Amino acid sequence: MGYYLSVLTFTSITVVAITSIYVITGLAGLFSLGQAAFMAVGAYTSGILITRLSMPFLPAVVFGIAAGMLAAFLVGIPTLKLRRDYIALVTFGFGEAIIAILNNTANVTGGAMGLVGITPYTTTPVAVGIAVLAVVLARNFKYSRFGRQCIAVKNDEVAAASMGVNVAGIKMMAFLFGSALTALAGTLYASYTTYVEPGLFVWTLSAEWIIIVFFGGVNSLTGAVVAAVLLGTLPEILRATAEWRIAIYSVLVLLIINFRPSGIFGEYELPLWRSIARRFRRAG
Amino acid sequence: MYFLQQILNGLSLGAVYSLIAVGFALVFNILKFSNFSQGGLITVCAYIGFMITRTFGLGLGATLALTALAGGVIALLVERVAFRRLRRKNSPLIYYFVSSITMGILLENLITIYFSSNFYAFPRFFARSTVRFGPFFMATTDLAMLGISLSSLLILMIVLYRTTFGTAIRALSMDMNAARLMGINVNFAIAGTFFLVGVFAGLGGVFLGINYTLYPQLGKLIVKGFVASVVGGLGNILGAVVGAILLGLLEVILVGVPGIGSGLSPVVVFVILLVFLIVRPQGIAGIIVKEKV
Repeated sequence: MGYYLSVLTFTSITVVAITSIYVITGLAGLFSLGQAAFMAVGAYTSGILITRLSMPFLPAVVFGIAAGMLAAFLVGIPTLKLRRDYIALVTFGFGEAIIAILNNTANVTGGAMGLVGITPYTTTPVAVGIAVLAVVLARNFKYSRFGRQCIAVKNDEVAAASMGVNVAGIKMMAFLFGSALTALAGTLYASYTTYVEPGLFVWTLSAEWIIIVFFGGVNSLTGAVVAAVLLGTLPEILRATAEWRIAIYSVLVLLIINFRPSGIFGEYELPLWRSIARRFRRAG
Repeated sequence: MYFLQQILNGLSLGAVYSLIAVGFALVFNILKFSNFSQGGLITVCAYIGFMITRTFGLGLGATLALTALAGGVIALLVERVAFRRLRRKNSPLIYYFVSSITMGILLENLITIYFSSNFYAFPRFFARSTVRFGPFFMATTDLAMLGISLSSLLILMIVLYRTTFGTAIRALSMDMNAARLMGINVNFAIAGTFFLVGVFAGLGGVFLGINYTLYPQLGKLIVKGFVASVVGGLGNILGAVVGAILLGLLEVILVGVPGIGSGLSPVVVFVILLVFLIVRPQGIAGIIVKEKV
């Protein structure tokens, strides 16, 4: 039973992280190859506050999210006004810089040995609850004015700008919102495993998240969440193939990109969500 | 004296970075997307070079030549699998991004599976480890890297600016459709460009493998190429070379600064990169790439 609960908890944390990638990549069309580093920022900020200052869980999570958003703001300011390539290239550098900082500040972060002894506040219900909350938030964001502006910007920046969309502004909003979710996933992770180390947050993790989002369908939140649950849980169950896991996903995504670029779910969203959205729109 | 010595070391490091940056700039120049598969390609090439020296006991020159050839062939495969179909269907840029990221992860994973996460090291290629020029010393491998990198860059420039094939590549980078209408075989020219990219990945991979130890995540050093390209101006090949040399010099200087050392130098480089982007986003070369309407 304990094993299944732990799988459920890890899957929930993955769902939060994937939701953040859905917002950044799926909605705004930005590629962040250092998103795992924002998870590290959240995890370490909350972890340090809990271990060194014995702060309770909730304020530590808030500070973790705030630190993640601050980092995203600093990275976003020079890059989001430019072509999309810049954010991908610069976030990659950000990831390397964060890992270098973590490795070289051993007296605060534990360095390469990792930060140990974080109080295990994250229980399974907390993780599942926050995952549901994150998905609902992302769904509301998608159907809001800002979400539609994001999609317009993703499809054609110039056309969106000529329709009066503040392109750099809406990209910044999506990047901040997404990074807040990533940092939240980090705080949950730190307080579940009670241990974090810099090697967990390398760029390949960011790339795997992007691969998972495209597996489900880059235009479908439902697809992203289903892919997160499926691809996040399967390796736990199929231990024997763990080594080949990423290679198999990569081949599948290459096939999908070539033959069904909209992903498995295409534009599909759960009908329940759409009807709720319609009700909201009528009310508003 | 110490300063001049450091400049010499920085130049040789920068020359290796420029091999990475040029491979990246070549693809960006033509297809207008950031090719993240290059990191995986460099990793694969580093291991191929290692296998070649270990099985055949060849010297540096022969190893480089064979690895460059192998890199070129793999790059052709990458182009065929990851980008050819996207190009034919006129897919939006984000699919090129995903395809290249996925390809890079796939290559890196295949290396991890085959070699596991062990560390390997290249054998020593030269009997004498340093060469002396008057008051200066230089590691023989560093000198070889500097010489080979600079001459291969020179050859690339000659190919780009003095041959029909180079003219075709430059025409493609300006306007693919117009180039096609002028009778340029687009598929052939793009495949040729990827072959060049693979050759540079082969050279860069072996040099990085010699400089650092061999491990499956070696490809993350592609970040040096990214920084160099952003500083030089995205897609500008000469700018990428200049950016890479500057980065090499900066890193060598930073290692000597107390309190920074090699550990924190990525942080300083990153901060400088952010400031540089605010001040001069178009890069040294001064061409700002906007998406065409």
